[in-house]
Amino acid sequence: MAERTAQRQLQRAYDCVVVGAGNGGLAAAAQLAVKGADVLLLERHNLPGGFATSFRRGRFEFEVSLHQFCDVGSPTSKGGVRQFLEDDLGVYLDWVEIPEAFRMILTDPGQEMDVTMPYGVEQFIAAVEKEVPGSRASVTKYVELCREIIEALTYLGESKGNPDRRVLMKKYANFLKTCAYTADQVAEALGIPERALKILHAQWCYIGPPTSRLNFTIYGAMLYKFLTTSAYIPRQRSHEFALALDARIREKGGHVEYNTGVDEILTKNGRVVGVVTSKGDRIETGHVISNASPTLVYNHLMSPKSAVPQAALRSCNARVGGTSAMVVYLGLDATLQELGINEYSYFVYGNMDTTAMYETFNTLAAPKVQAVMCLNNAIPDCSPPGTSIVSTTTLFRPEVWKDVSPRDYVKVKNAIAADLIADLERALEVPLSKHIEEIEVATPETYARYTGSFNGVIYGYEPEPWDSLIPRMMMMGDDKHFEGLEFCGGFAFRCHGYSSSFMSGQIAALLTLRDLIEEGKALQ
Amino acid sequence: MKVRVRGYVRDMLAFRNLVPKRKKRIASSPASAVGVDPINQLARRLHPGIQHLVVAGVRDETRTTKTFKLVADPNSPTRELAYFRAGQYLSLKVEVNGVRVTRPYSISSAPFETLGDDGFYEVTVRRRKDGFFTTSIWENWKVGTKVRSSGPCGAFYHEPLRDAAKIVGLAGGSGITPFRSMARAIARGELEAELLLLYGSSDDDDVVFEAELSQLARKTPDKIRVVHVSSAARTSRKDCERGFITADLIRKYADVGNSSFFVCGPQRMYQFVDAQLATLDLPRKRIRREVFGELDDVTRLAGFPREVAGSTFSLKANVGEVAVEVPAKAAETVLVALERANLAPPSECRSGECGFCRALLVSGDVYIAPDNDGRRAADKRFGYVHPCVSYPITNIEVTIPRGA
Repeated sequence: MAERTAQRQLQRAYDCVVVGAGNGGLAAAAQLAVKGADVLLLERHNLPGGFATSFRRGRFEFEVSLHQFCDVGSPTSKGGVRQFLEDDLGVYLDWVEIPEAFRMILTDPGQEMDVTMPYGVEQFIAAVEKEVPGSRASVTKYVELCREIIEALTYLGESKGNPDRRVLMKKYANFLKTCAYTADQVAEALGIPERALKILHAQWCYIGPPTSRLNFTIYGAMLYKFLTTSAYIPRQRSHEFALALDARIREKGGHVEYNTGVDEILTKNGRVVGVVTSKGDRIETGHVISNASPTLVYNHLMSPKSAVPQAALRSCNARVGGTSAMVVYLGLDATLQELGINEYSYFVYGNMDTTAMYETFNTLAAPKVQAVMCLNNAIPDCSPPGTSIVSTTTLFRPEVWKDVSPRDYVKVKNAIAADLIADLERALEVPLSKHIEEIEVATPETYARYTGSFNGVIYGYEPEPWDSLIPRMMMMGDDKHFEGLEFCGGFAFRCHGYSSSFMSGQIAALLTLRDLIEEGKALQ
Repeated sequence: MKVRVRGYVRDMLAFRNLVPKRKKRIASSPASAVGVDPINQLARRLHPGIQHLVVAGVRDETRTTKTFKLVADPNSPTRELAYFRAGQYLSLKVEVNGVRVTRPYSISSAPFETLGDDGFYEVTVRRRKDGFFTTSIWENWKVGTKVRSSGPCGAFYHEPLRDAAKIVGLAGGSGITPFRSMARAIARGELEAELLLLYGSSDDDDVVFEAELSQLARKTPDKIRVVHVSSAARTSRKDCERGFITADLIRKYADVGNSSFFVCGPQRMYQFVDAQLATLDLPRKRIRREVFGELDDVTRLAGFPREVAGSTFSLKANVGEVAVEVPAKAAETVLVALERANLAPPSECRSGECGFCRALLVSGDVYIAPDNDGRRAADKRFGYVHPCVSYPITNIEVTIPRGA
């Protein structure tokens, strides 16, 4: 018995240990494995994906978190994500393009609005113009600016952190000049009509902070990617995405171990020397890529604790923690056609004062923000004939859940879920509750349970202007507190969201590969 | 195109100030460490991976059935019991003859009984004639025995957002246990629902919780009603229906159109009751079925390849960094073969539903009964199986995660 247990220990040394198999960790491990590095991917849960996963209830399989995967693009006009997957990793998925961008419904009296938007730069601008006559010029300018942001970011990426200042000043001055501002500040400077701005900012909840605090660079980059490369989802939920990466890692000789969390990252003289797992394995490695947040790593994982510099802890405390979520997953015994639900993606808001909307995340009541996914309108056969899947997501400041006792937990979440469903029924004018065959309600507690993320947040640190992509990028040296330790995922410098957290894994892997080569490791 | 937010100079200055500003903001923040956050604490209380329990009492229910009272082990990392929803189960992790195995058992006590310093769970176990697990529990569990379990699992509970406020419980034999939990919760006012129990038994002097259920029904007549259905060849009982739980019987007692039907019992009961329920023309959402654990005899299923029924194959299991080769009978699940080899694989529901035992089938073939195939679509495509419902029909190789 003891013998068997001993045999089950992981004992080998690895070039790199990746902590956590979320989007970032999977990407990092796959990139390392494809390049020939000896990689061990550890995941505390028994599945890969982190939030990118699915679950079964009865005859339904629910997507946990993916609404729209940004930057995938079509096979002929690939976005960054598809390029990375197909060209760099050799991973091919059955991607489905979502039918329309979104339909936004504002429900507050006097604020009512109901618009359906397409992706595609021209189509989008034309649709806004149709809704808000006279908006074309300023909206075009806004989109142009977003294009410059993407081009500047591409240039920064290609310059590998050493951009030519003159090029930046000459070609990307607008990018530099808007870098330090919020989405609201930039929109105001461009003189965008209020009603048009409501449409432009509709996807704010994909990042979290209100547009009064949300850095423009991040929002503009996301919007432009959506407009130019549309949005996709994997046919078999994001679990397909996670499994394809898992399979590629194994194929390339990487080792993946589930049910195995990391309890300690061992350091010596300021550099990583190994990890200790929840199963008691002691693994020698010079490199760790963490999909777990700096908050978790610096507060709980680094060993010895005394090695953690004060600057690392200060940084964790300075940054604004992201929001968590509540999702109500509905398996319905009617089709979307029968119910009269025509779109895949809905935003249902009280109004578009995003600061006021964000305030509704601060109490234990149904927030006035819902991002709704009606899966069968993208993938008609995602559930059995005669049924459909609808899920609605809202956000919460996680702290408001802190005093909920185990005994009250179900009552609290069900009361909020019931209100969310009622709000949705009113907004869409469809009867949902009487068609519920399966229901599951996920809360911050659920996300903490399955991923261990700090406070159960689903988003990384909020990208306010002072702590958004560019300042994080320019301070990567300052933020590096241990040799051999990189971060990926939603808490890394690229900020959160499916594509960002995924691509951050590639960057962490490339930085690690560079170190490995310097250390004399022969790689492909 | 030239964009200005506050004028060229101020915009450029704002850009240049980004790094100094961020540095300053970090430098002026406290260097204090943070502990485990409250949301993760709540998650650990609601869903502990492992609960360390101690047997605090053993009660004879009938000649074949005992109830074990389990309390939190005060000298363990889990000093309180996880609250649950009436109808859920615990996966008990037990060592039998030196081999670590698991079994799912419905919690027969009510959720409120977990609360406070005297909190407890009860599991009620019927001894099976050839059951090595139940035999071992009966012989070995005494007051003071330490037991490990999962947190509460399963989806066999009343969900007010989905289910009717009227529950019709269709129970067969020891399938009564989750309904006892519901009945106690209803009587206490913890669960807001009405319960009509149609309780089938095959042996009149082996009816578990008979007296207690009568008492609960008397105490809360507007909420709880129990109808015994006896299929015993001979019975002297007058206060019961005779035969099985038929559609006619259901119509006689239940408000069919306004109830949610919850079914729990032995496998042969499901076959019968499913057919009866089908004639009632209920929407699917109105019928909830508890999973029943491993199949009694997989080789009798129509889809099972008979020709291998008596075969034993070779099973190569990759665990951690080692590979182990062990025998695996076609008539037994891959999970059982892994347990026999003492690899302590993870498992909870043992019914194909929860996916806790999920493993990668590297090569070879297994038989999975379609009704028990609870896998995700992508899992099927990428070759993952749930060993608890997978039967080897060739030599196979699997990669399994390490258990707790």
